[in-house]
Amino acid sequence: MIRIAPIAAATSRANSLSSLSLLLRLEARRLADAFRNPLVDAWAGVALPVVLAVGGLWLAGASARPDISTVDGIILLGLLVAAPVSLQAYPILFRPDDDGFLRRLGIPARALFGIRALRLFVLALAIVLALMIPFVSTRQPLARPFAVAVTAAVAAWAVSLWAQARAAARTSGGRRGVAAGLLGWDPELAAAAALVYAPLYPLVAGAAAAWFVGQEVWTMSLRMLVAIALSLVVVPVAAAAFARALPRFAPHAGELAYAPPPDASGGELVVGRGIARVLPRRAQAVRARDAVVLGRRYRWAGRAAWPVAVVCALAVIRAGGSPAVRAWVTLACGLLLVAQAGAVVALGRSERGRTRGMDRALGLGLADRLVGRWAAALGLGLGLALPLAVGWRIGVDAGGGWIWLAAAAGAAAVASLASLTAAGR
Amino acid sequence: MTADALPLSVRALRKKYRRRVVLDAVAFDVRPGEAVALAGPNGAGKSTLIGCITADRVPDAGDVRICGTDPFAEPRGAAACMGFVPEQPFLYPELSVAELLRFVAAARGLDADASSAEAARLLAMLGLAGAEQTLCRELSQGMGRKTAIAAALLHRPKMILLDEALNGLDRTSAERLVAELDARRAEGAAVLISSHDLDFLAGWCGRGILLPQTGRWTALDGDAWDTWRRAPTLAG
Repeated sequence: MIRIAPIAAATSRANSLSSLSLLLRLEARRLADAFRNPLVDAWAGVALPVVLAVGGLWLAGASARPDISTVDGIILLGLLVAAPVSLQAYPILFRPDDDGFLRRLGIPARALFGIRALRLFVLALAIVLALMIPFVSTRQPLARPFAVAVTAAVAAWAVSLWAQARAAARTSGGRRGVAAGLLGWDPELAAAAALVYAPLYPLVAGAAAAWFVGQEVWTMSLRMLVAIALSLVVVPVAAAAFARALPRFAPHAGELAYAPPPDASGGELVVGRGIARVLPRRAQAVRARDAVVLGRRYRWAGRAAWPVAVVCALAVIRAGGSPAVRAWVTLACGLLLVAQAGAVVALGRSERGRTRGMDRALGLGLADRLVGRWAAALGLGLGLALPLAVGWRIGVDAGGGWIWLAAAAGAAAVASLASLTAAGR
Repeated sequence: MTADALPLSVRALRKKYRRRVVLDAVAFDVRPGEAVALAGPNGAGKSTLIGCITADRVPDAGDVRICGTDPFAEPRGAAACMGFVPEQPFLYPELSVAELLRFVAAARGLDADASSAEAARLLAMLGLAGAEQTLCRELSQGMGRKTAIAAALLHRPKMILLDEALNGLDRTSAERLVAELDARRAEGAAVLISSHDLDFLAGWCGRGILLPQTGRWTALDGDAWDTWRRAPTLAG
């Protein structure tokens, strides 16, 4: 006979608050598992990219630090905080693994909103702390940038919750705004137009909050309080919209994630193409597979590279002599390399207990997997690093472009090592 | 939710993915104590039909009622009445079997002592006694499915939905589960079960829904069921 001790007071009708309390305890228990049952590979899979990001921000120092003595710098800091919050709001609110399980248990939508809003808030705070690293490493006063960043984070967080909940309600209700017409070339995208545009609201809110708080030092505290209070007013509205939208939108969100058959015109799996032919045959196979999976599962990682590379390369060619231009180019490209490394690590985490077994059955050794994955990750990074290296060589330093190629190779090496570690036995 | 409402009622259900109609005008009831088979080849729409019932898929048209409640309009009411084992069950990898069942009991607002005893009984019935402290990530596929079955039956639902739930179960556990389901049916619970084991469906269920191919369906009642159960086939 097992003993199952109660973890919640037994009630005939669990209300939202007690459900939220239960979900919080579940969250704590899941997080505590990393300490209760520590796995070296799981820790390494998380710690390596974190160390990479923190180390990169520390070393980048002044290059990665917005100049908050100017309005442009203050708004840039607000945007840097708001951008990841606005982009992560949708998956955090509507795509957790346990969404269907919890809904079928009858957990109230407001409790689900509460726990997911909390997760997004923790992410926002983590981004604020990460962005303070260059200020700490260059021994700058922290009070003002911290106040600006925290306010921008709270504003972006609250507006993200509202914008995503509103977009979910509109999408599941079949309502199309005027802006949907701009996406008319793709009917399915137009049907989800509200979701496409939803991240713009928190971006604007984060930038506006940063500008509002950062423009005058003496009234900063008061302005901060006003901005945060105004932001918090939005949260109950978002909760109500989320609760209305969730029952119909949550299954809809799963269907929105449907991946159509891959386009035969590009991205198909071809072993031993181009420069990859220099790799051992088995590593070529791993590279080809990993490149295709990365390209399909984390399409953003490849798609984001080209626009960033083109803009940054043109910027350094035209104005590479300016320290400010070099600084934002370094920051933007460094962040993208870290994000791409994150995709490679995420690929490893998704393989835990699955692909490893298949690789073992195929006789693929650790070296084959490491070299193949490194080559796939490098291919991803070269989309950014190659044009930038050329631009850097022309506009900044005739002998300096190689540093970007080295950075891409190094990031790929760390990411693939962390990825295989995260994939486990 | 009304006391005399049918455990499950489906009316004019239509579902399409892009332009492909998967379910068209599907309509059937499941009455208390019944076991209804859901049969069809891979990709015919069995899981989609169950998904539309459990609110994991949004139907394009039609109406679903679980114990008289609309699972989209009153998700909590439907959840209280329904126990569902999906084809690929979700289990928190960080929780042990006992912790997962404890969480499920608390989330459903069940009495702690009663649910504890019921969880122990279900685990023993399914052959999981002794595995209570095993983390869900360490469970085999069959053990994971058994855990999901225990979680789905813990609150004694009136409508039990099993999507390929017997897959991966050893013969003894499958027989015990069927006996448990029979006991639940005797108490008034209803079962809708999808499986590729047509002989089992023919032998255990009282009627069926056949999805011979995408977009088509046939109700197997009365004589049609008697004919089908003598020679179960996926052809419509």
